[in-house]
Amino acid sequence: MTEYIENPALWALVVLLIIVIAVVVRQRKAAMALRQEITGLREYYSDLEHHYTQSVAAAQEQAEEATKTVLKSAMRTLQGLAAEQQLILSRLQAKHGESVILQDLLEIDHTNSQFGRRAQSIAVLCDGWLGRHRDNASVYDVVRSAQGRVRHFRRVEILSQVDFGISSRAVEPVALALAELLDNATSYSSPDTVVEINIRTVPKGVAIVVDDAGVGMNDEERARAERLLSTDRVKSVAGLGNPPQFGLAVIGVLSERFGFEVSVDSTSPYGGVRAVVLLPHELLTSMPEKKAPAAPMTRSSVPPPANGPEPVPGSPTTSDGLPLRRRKRPMAIVPGSAPTPLASARSGAETAAIMGAFQRGTRSGRAVRTDDADQTSSTRGSSSEGHEYS
Amino acid sequence: MNGPEDFELEAAELVRSYVITKGRRLPDEDQLSLITLVTAAPEQVQRPLRLSPEEQRLLDVCSAGYLSVAEIAGHTRLPLGVVRIMLAGLTEAGYLLTRPPVARARLADKELLEEVLSGLRAKFG
Repeated sequence: MTEYIENPALWALVVLLIIVIAVVVRQRKAAMALRQEITGLREYYSDLEHHYTQSVAAAQEQAEEATKTVLKSAMRTLQGLAAEQQLILSRLQAKHGESVILQDLLEIDHTNSQFGRRAQSIAVLCDGWLGRHRDNASVYDVVRSAQGRVRHFRRVEILSQVDFGISSRAVEPVALALAELLDNATSYSSPDTVVEINIRTVPKGVAIVVDDAGVGMNDEERARAERLLSTDRVKSVAGLGNPPQFGLAVIGVLSERFGFEVSVDSTSPYGGVRAVVLLPHELLTSMPEKKAPAAPMTRSSVPPPANGPEPVPGSPTTSDGLPLRRRKRPMAIVPGSAPTPLASARSGAETAAIMGAFQRGTRSGRAVRTDDADQTSSTRGSSSEGHEYS
Repeated sequence: MNGPEDFELEAAELVRSYVITKGRRLPDEDQLSLITLVTAAPEQVQRPLRLSPEEQRLLDVCSAGYLSVAEIAGHTRLPLGVVRIMLAGLTEAGYLLTRPPVARARLADKELLEEVLSGLRAKFG
């Protein structure tokens, strides 16, 4: 036993063992500390990463909000100007209705409507102003309003009508959404094809069906369209691509906000896209009262039929309260103007004066109901006179 | 979304005139002037539903006998040119008949009338 104790090699071994143990313990400690440090660092890193993503998102959102605010107010100005110009154009059309200028005025009006629609679409994506207040309007008129807002409106044909109106708050949104659909339909089909609109009553409300004869959409485009129209909204105006594709994004926002449905997932009978706008009963009204169509003419002094005197009982009247003449003979000849002197041929100025007098006459005839019967009978009398002359 | 201030302003008509005319051009003055006489075609009984409300209304106004273009325009309260475009369209489609104003023809008869008058005077006067 002692020989072992005295053996220096054994002592050396023991010392070595102690040293090794000490080293191992130290290394373990160091490794543990390192590991802790690493976890700490990792946590710190993920924390940082998290904060970074958050602040980037916040900055993006802020920038988006700022862009939207700027665009919104810019569009508000443009929309206001377009609306103002539209009123001026209406006035001019009424004033120069007899002139050849009318042709050009109508074209300017068309361009102005398109311009207004573009501004309106951008405004919708920026949660902006939709337009001035509208009264209830018939579905047919809303469809025609939409038709007037696209470039190739001549290619759009409305094949059927229904006896329903759209409630005032939904008039503009439906017209704008439909205009965007028509814009797509006319842009993605060849210029010699027609875009057909059918308006139908369905159990859920009224469906406006737009069929184009274009090339249709492939699966990818269809998926993108569905995405834009349903849940996955375009959150930012920046995400619309270049050139920006507003159409479906605008429709998506409008349909969600005002509660109508739009689908573009079927194929039209002509191989193109069939788009369907489904208006629920909440947005529908009965057919609105037929008002005098268009143009707030310069003769606003004419009282509206509702305020006018009661119609003579028994005599049929037109929708704006004028007595309706019945045809007695198949071809009664009514002179084209008021009775004229037969003595001499009329000059251009005289003809104009006579026509002016005639117009004033019909105007005053509309203003005063009780005279209407007399006027009709006097015209009838002069018609028989005219018959004898010729 | 709509501020209350937006409702004070008047909105222009929902359906613009160029949509009502379907983008057609003004007819020639000699084809359809202010004093051209227009009436509904007699054989036309049933109207297709495809006509717009404005066109239907024009046919209603014209169904009572010959009226001048100016008078029809007065009834509809649309700009006169717009009415002329619509009337031209309806005439082309065969819903309306037009005839030139009678006034000119009557003036050409003046001498004949005078002859008749003098003849009558010679006989009875």
